[in-house]
Amino acid sequence: MIRVSGPGALAVGARVAPGLRTDRPWRAQLVELHGPAAEPVDRGIVIPYHAPSSSTGEDMVELMVHAAPAVIRIVLESCEAAGARPARPGEFTRRAVANGKMDLLQAEAVAELVHAETAWELRVARSQVDGELSRRVGVLREGLTALLARLEAALDFAEQGVAVDLDALERERAALVEAMGRLRSSVRSWERLRRGVRVVLLGPPNSGKSTLFNTLVGMERAIVSPHPGTTRDLVEAEVELGGVRVTLVDTAGVREGGDAVEAEGVRRATEAAADADVLVVLRAVDGETREAGEPTAGVPWIGVVTKSDLDPGVVPPEGWVAVSARDGTGMEELEERLRGMVSGDVEPDAVSVVVNRRHAAALESAAASVEGAPLDEPELAAEDLREAVRHLDELMGRVATDDVLDSIFETFCLGK
Amino acid sequence: MGSPEHGIVVVGAGHAGCEAALAAARMGVPVVVVTLHAGRVAEMPCNPAMGGVGKGHIMAELDALGGVQPWAADRSGIQFRMLNRSRGPAVWGPRAQCDRADYSRRMARILGGVPGIRVVEGEAMGLLVRDDGVRGVLLAGGERLRAACVVLGTGTFLGGILHTGPERRPGGRFGEAPSVGLGRALEALGLELRRHKTGTPPRLHRDSLDMDRLEVQAGDDEPRPFSWRTASVRNCAVCWITRTPPVVQRIIGDNLHRSPLFAGVIEGTGPRYCPSIEDKVVRFPHHDEHTIFLEPEGLDTPSVYVNGLSTSLPRDVQEAVVHAVPGLERARFLRYGYAVEYDVVPATQVRRSLEVRGVEGLFLAGQLLGTSGYEEAAALGFLAGVNAVARLRGERPLVLGREEAYMGVLVDDLVGRDQREPYRMLTGRAEHRLILGVDSARERLMGRGVELGLVPERVFHVERSRWERREDAVRWLEESTLNPDPETRTAVRGVAGIELERQTTWAAVVRRQDVDLERLIRSLPPLAALGVEDARVVVSRVRYAGYLERHRREVERLKRLGSVVIPQGFLDEDVPGLSLEVREVLRRSRPETLAEAERLPGMTPAAMAILVSRLAGRGVDRG
Repeated sequence: MIRVSGPGALAVGARVAPGLRTDRPWRAQLVELHGPAAEPVDRGIVIPYHAPSSSTGEDMVELMVHAAPAVIRIVLESCEAAGARPARPGEFTRRAVANGKMDLLQAEAVAELVHAETAWELRVARSQVDGELSRRVGVLREGLTALLARLEAALDFAEQGVAVDLDALERERAALVEAMGRLRSSVRSWERLRRGVRVVLLGPPNSGKSTLFNTLVGMERAIVSPHPGTTRDLVEAEVELGGVRVTLVDTAGVREGGDAVEAEGVRRATEAAADADVLVVLRAVDGETREAGEPTAGVPWIGVVTKSDLDPGVVPPEGWVAVSARDGTGMEELEERLRGMVSGDVEPDAVSVVVNRRHAAALESAAASVEGAPLDEPELAAEDLREAVRHLDELMGRVATDDVLDSIFETFCLGK
Repeated sequence: MGSPEHGIVVVGAGHAGCEAALAAARMGVPVVVVTLHAGRVAEMPCNPAMGGVGKGHIMAELDALGGVQPWAADRSGIQFRMLNRSRGPAVWGPRAQCDRADYSRRMARILGGVPGIRVVEGEAMGLLVRDDGVRGVLLAGGERLRAACVVLGTGTFLGGILHTGPERRPGGRFGEAPSVGLGRALEALGLELRRHKTGTPPRLHRDSLDMDRLEVQAGDDEPRPFSWRTASVRNCAVCWITRTPPVVQRIIGDNLHRSPLFAGVIEGTGPRYCPSIEDKVVRFPHHDEHTIFLEPEGLDTPSVYVNGLSTSLPRDVQEAVVHAVPGLERARFLRYGYAVEYDVVPATQVRRSLEVRGVEGLFLAGQLLGTSGYEEAAALGFLAGVNAVARLRGERPLVLGREEAYMGVLVDDLVGRDQREPYRMLTGRAEHRLILGVDSARERLMGRGVELGLVPERVFHVERSRWERREDAVRWLEESTLNPDPETRTAVRGVAGIELERQTTWAAVVRRQDVDLERLIRSLPPLAALGVEDARVVVSRVRYAGYLERHRREVERLKRLGSVVIPQGFLDEDVPGLSLEVREVLRRSRPETLAEAERLPGMTPAAMAILVSRLAGRGVDRG
């Protein structure tokens, strides 16, 4: 589809498709399409739109042509000959924002949507385009406004004995800070979704890391084929697991060789582990019984006893999974557990909202302002809460209004 | 009979009209005040009190600029309280119960005593307009009062209708006829009028109240005057408090259909912050009781104002409600509550100077512009008077910024954003509340008062030395070092009640949560020397320091934005990238600077970025 938007869009449409009735907006019309020299090129469906009722808020024409590269090229040339120019990246979205057709958050989500590679990313970005984050931030803002209204009422209507219930205020504040924290933490989740969850396989030599790695890659849809790491001597592969982008990292081979190399290998493996979102700690059923490297504190991990086919009666330590890459024993369980971990580690909120760095920074500032507000000094606390509202408004790309007063009057019974 | 051909006609002698006339005349311009009732100047048709939180802020500013209302309120005040005394000075709200009749007589005497003011009793029927400019006022008898500028402060009189239950009669105030012709004249000028509504409660006879069942609310132990003109004030009356019992809910509920508010008879929009008792009962059905304040209307009158029972219910229902309240069982009515509906001119039609757009020399002020309250009216009247003089002299009008004064917030809110209900000042409306306290009003504005010629320089110098002493004390606290040697520790323990552990400053001590500020204020010599009130201000400024710094930065930013003037033609251009909504807002509100534009509802950071780049660019082009 070719889209033309702007004050001259209808004129361009009329030149490219002389049969088009531009005075009949929002109607799909089957018309002849002409090239730059008015030569017939194709027949296509063309829809004219009148401002402001179009996706960009401007006059607009959409031309649906046959997908032949030559047709597309000639129709585009024809549009340019009629006065149009190629859109810059994101220009339609920018215009939609400028014309109030979309808010900033939705526009950002469109960008994410365009770049979505996994099913999850697509779903999240999609919900954002529908205003999911705006809605959530809106809820936070309402909570803030209500809290602020209590303080403002205590100040402005002191005459009428409006009292401050400090305990209630503290509770409200705590709830708000927590909600902001939840939303903010989904920035990590979203980044993880976009960047991929790093799942690092860790274990002593010959514990079956490479075999497990290859099996897992084989089971899942590989996004990028395995390639030897050039900088870290690590083997990585990207797969989609439960809708989440997962980077599998194999530390295989790093400990083989002489002492010096081994030391270097340990360092790299440790580095890889430190960078991991999820660790898979391996131990071969016939391997050393000592615990294979205690995983980095705070990183979720799963223990795997490999080569279980060598000892079918093996009882893995509690919480560990016994697998055999050779006969497939336990692989499904492992996959299930991994899927739970990569998506479970992602905040549930992240399922439906995209939070980028800008959003996270604004939420963080807002939360800090709310946390620091001295509620027992309402005139100061109000300053901090107003600041927090401003941060949220910045996040949403709008300027504050008199909402607090409205909230006061809805909440309090005041007056002569 | 001598029109002030080169002077000003003020229509209305309420709080706006009086202040406008006094400011203009004291600036040396002849003024004629036209009023329907020369004997009822500066009336207080609602409660007999001035100030409070927000309104008291406005009075402090008006006083610093040289206005008269705060001084008159001091003289007629019978009970003084500082609201929010326990909080920081930014939200202190001076309030006074006033003797209504005394206030009115006093203001009439003040008007009569200023050379250059002539009061004419009559009704202004129309405006004399020529070449897009006002030329005077047409009186009911046919007389023409020519003037170079006209200030209208007609309050609730334009098209006024009073309601008590089913009774409905034209009137501007109790027992006074409304003004009809002037509204038509304004419409003829192309101005849009809108209906507002406000109400007032019954007045009861003091001797019929059961004082034993009422709680006494006394004035402050150390009452503080509003004005620099007043040396001291004293309390000579108290108020009383009681509460409505739950049965009032039912009485009102049963009779709601007889309230003109709910029967749909009243069309005007009323203020949410000043609801009638029937409003409260409907909107807050879960509230069992509502607080009632009984305020004496003066020393020589038995009349008591029932604050909290504003109503337009029929008389029998008012009696039933009042008699159900503890302490009011046998209360005798001196007057019944009523609602008044009146015309206002939405203030989006005036400039920030309060001059009507497109009608040179015509200024509006007070309730006519959609405010409520004596203080807001006086502030607007003062500005209209001052700016009418500026218009005559070809000087720049006095326009205060939101970061400078509540009076700036007032004008900007009225002119810059469409107000759908009668406007009352609240500190919550000010973004810069912390720097707009009553404690700083003179610092902020007295210099302007001197420039206007309304504040004597001598007074300014006295005040300036006072705030300089405060600033010195702030600096001293910030800079003085305390070492934790035994001697200093004992001293700090003695004046602040805390243990000193390491080297620090007095400012850091003041900011500590566990410090005994009251003791510090009274016993640390540099603070004690200032007196308690100024010492509290100093201590608060030290404690507020971080917040104040944030405001100062913001004020700097706004000054920069405020210095970028928006060429009026620019507003009608189709600026690429601006949304249709923003363009529409700009076109309608016609901001004169970027700072004003930023405040408009619907404005977005993206739109501001575009405006800044476009307009700052123009500035550069022009060198």
